[in-house]
Amino acid sequence: MGKSTVVPFGPQHPVLPEPIHFDLELEDEKVVKAIPSIGYVHRGLEKLVEKRGFQEYVYVAERVCGICSFGHGWGYSKAIEGLMEIEIPKRAEYLRTIWHEISRLHSHLLWAGLGADALGFESLFMQCWRIRETILDIIEQTTGGRVIFSVCKVGGVRRDIPDQELKEIVKRLDALKKEIDGVADIFLNDETIHARLKGVGTVTYDEAVALGCVGPTARASGVPQDYRIGDEGGAYKELGFTPVLATEGDCFARVKVRLLELYQSLDIIKGCVENMPAGDIAVPVKGFPPAAEYFTRVEQPRGEAVYYVKGNKTKNLERFRLRTPTNANIPVLVKMLQGCDLADVPNIILTIDPCISCCER
Amino acid sequence: MSYIKKSPWLVHYDGSSCNGCDIEVLACLTPLYDVERFGIVNTGNPKHADIFLVTGGVNTQNLPVVKQIYEQIPEPKVVIAVGTCACSGGVFRDCYNMLGGMDKAIPVDVYVPGCAARPESIIDGVVKGLSVLEEKQKALAVPVREKQALRERELEPEVAINKSQEAGK
Amino acid sequence: MSEMVINIISGIAYLILAPVIGGLLAGVDRKISARMQRRVGPPIMQPFYDFFKLWDKQPVAVNKAQSFYVTGFLLFVVISGLFFFTHGDILLVVFTLTMASVCFIVAAYSSNSPYSQIGAERELVQTMSYEPMLLLMALGFYLNCGTFSIGEILKSPQMNFIYMPGIFVGLSYILLIKFRKSPFDLSVSHEAHQELIQGALTEISGRSLALIELAHWYENVFLLGFVYLFFAWTAPWSPALGLFMCAFTYFGDILVDNCCSRVKWENMLASTWLVTLVAGFVNIMFLMQIR
Repeated sequence: MGKSTVVPFGPQHPVLPEPIHFDLELEDEKVVKAIPSIGYVHRGLEKLVEKRGFQEYVYVAERVCGICSFGHGWGYSKAIEGLMEIEIPKRAEYLRTIWHEISRLHSHLLWAGLGADALGFESLFMQCWRIRETILDIIEQTTGGRVIFSVCKVGGVRRDIPDQELKEIVKRLDALKKEIDGVADIFLNDETIHARLKGVGTVTYDEAVALGCVGPTARASGVPQDYRIGDEGGAYKELGFTPVLATEGDCFARVKVRLLELYQSLDIIKGCVENMPAGDIAVPVKGFPPAAEYFTRVEQPRGEAVYYVKGNKTKNLERFRLRTPTNANIPVLVKMLQGCDLADVPNIILTIDPCISCCER
Repeated sequence: MSYIKKSPWLVHYDGSSCNGCDIEVLACLTPLYDVERFGIVNTGNPKHADIFLVTGGVNTQNLPVVKQIYEQIPEPKVVIAVGTCACSGGVFRDCYNMLGGMDKAIPVDVYVPGCAARPESIIDGVVKGLSVLEEKQKALAVPVREKQALRERELEPEVAINKSQEAGK
Repeated sequence: MSEMVINIISGIAYLILAPVIGGLLAGVDRKISARMQRRVGPPIMQPFYDFFKLWDKQPVAVNKAQSFYVTGFLLFVVISGLFFFTHGDILLVVFTLTMASVCFIVAAYSSNSPYSQIGAERELVQTMSYEPMLLLMALGFYLNCGTFSIGEILKSPQMNFIYMPGIFVGLSYILLIKFRKSPFDLSVSHEAHQELIQGALTEISGRSLALIELAHWYENVFLLGFVYLFFAWTAPWSPALGLFMCAFTYFGDILVDNCCSRVKWENMLASTWLVTLVAGFVNIMFLMQIR
């Protein structure tokens, strides 16, 4: 019988940038039970719809999370447009797709860097974030902000990207591909990384379906769960989309899925630029949302996010509900943490790519 | 000679932030901005830190946590509130769970606005914090009697002058 | 000049110069690591600034025992170094170094924080991993040069490395553990963020932390001294070769640090003992045959 300790993990912790608390019951460095305690980032912003107008609220919705910020703005705008039956111009749809895929690139590279840092591989962390700066430059050039874009609005987008600029962006992303190759090569082939990630935190296909996980966490176990497959009326349908899948279901498979998604995003951006339709970027929005409800989904970098809105014929919505991907991934996280080593805890937590501020809103 | 300006170690805590400012704080460590050339190290341990970099506002759950981390940092210490949410609550000011900016929990020395605050602003804020830190270090080194004399001179100059004249006689 | 005077001067030089050299080595380490990561990096004098800043911090000791054991750690490291540089007995140096590790481990255990406790356990496992190799190294020098005395080893007729290459490989491998570099920076890691916060050093702050840094500088200098011993012999250009190989080994460790992630303690123990067995033990067998 080993020595039993309770290690309080978080909320202040150098490995995880966000506050989440786990009480880890250890027996000789093996985790017997992990009891999560969340709520440190809960701001209660869903209730804020009652105080802010439905068009103004986009700016609050964006700030649910700084990393998946554009996706939240898009999801909310899409939900209101669906509720009020507004059809946005094609060009706006394509521009939104481009920004969302760029957002996915920056999110996955950020995650890769943090993962490497948790493994003790600081130089890889530095390289990933250095590459990410190129993407942030592109974002800043097109939207004006590095982290919070504020470019999505109900009815379309606020800014346009001229075609000439789009071609130049594609050239820069092509140059970036070589650098991503370098980083992906290390992640996929380094022996010490294999030793830390292979066989750790395995989730089988059936467990993934039963626990309801989403995003790369599910796709790494072979579950083809990606909203972009069945997307109606968006750019994804016109470009054609196949999800990236892996079968092993361990931490290494999740790393592989995210790295391959980087390449996929680069291809999608190129496809959007090549097929970019001309036209307006927004339509005017008149009136108030009807007394009805609507929900829509967006494939965030971390998985599928569900946006539900309910109007009541006034400037303020009755209800806004957001189910973020991390909410859906917490049960599978608790299952993975049982029986793992203490040294694996940050790796496992980071492989579901937790976004606690999304989760708690 | 005060070395604290040359080797400030910081601890970073996210209290109800949306992560935007946090990733900009981490971006300061990366090759493009590289704050390690100023000797700044991001230590995760409050007991080793001099600067407390907080992002996000205070809500009912993280109020005791922020206070506890603040108390664990040994003197001299400086608190830098990064981002509009840490300064005043930001967009979330009217939310039911938010109590306001970081100054509702701990005394803040430097406010860095922005949503999200750019790495350049954060580095600027840290550099301003360093001069505050140096002042605090000097204040700690002054013995207690001298501190009292300085305070008396500030509050009631005539009384202080009379006292010193009497002492001189 | 007589033997004894040289030894005394060498010992005093160690006491005074080793912190300076150790600190500069630490500064060079951070600068080179930063350059490898495509950053500018801190100034080379940075470890000294860190040391003086820590000295002036408000003392936050967890309990009285901690400062006692930290001072013990520093004292034993300095004594080991003194034994080494006054050309004493190499086996005695290895054992006093073990005493120093024990003091460090007890200092980490003395607080109740779970992070310190687990860090101390990992430090114990690290000590278990590298002790056999250090002992084999002392044994190897005995078999090669016929004596444990460092003064005699320095005067050996041919380069020690020629008959002890396996032991040198083993020593370089465990130096990664002693210098606290990836893949073996399990218990305490300087720059990296790990799950144990700062591991064994979590509850140690202020002056105690400064003293531990100082002890590491002393230790690093005489660990590189072990490397120097492999390349010391009576030829006049042997000091230059020795110093060059010390620099080369140190640089090699920085390179490995930047190219590896951290491994788990089972892997560290298994791989270190494997290297000790294959490189070190086989070398010892060979030395015993040719005697």
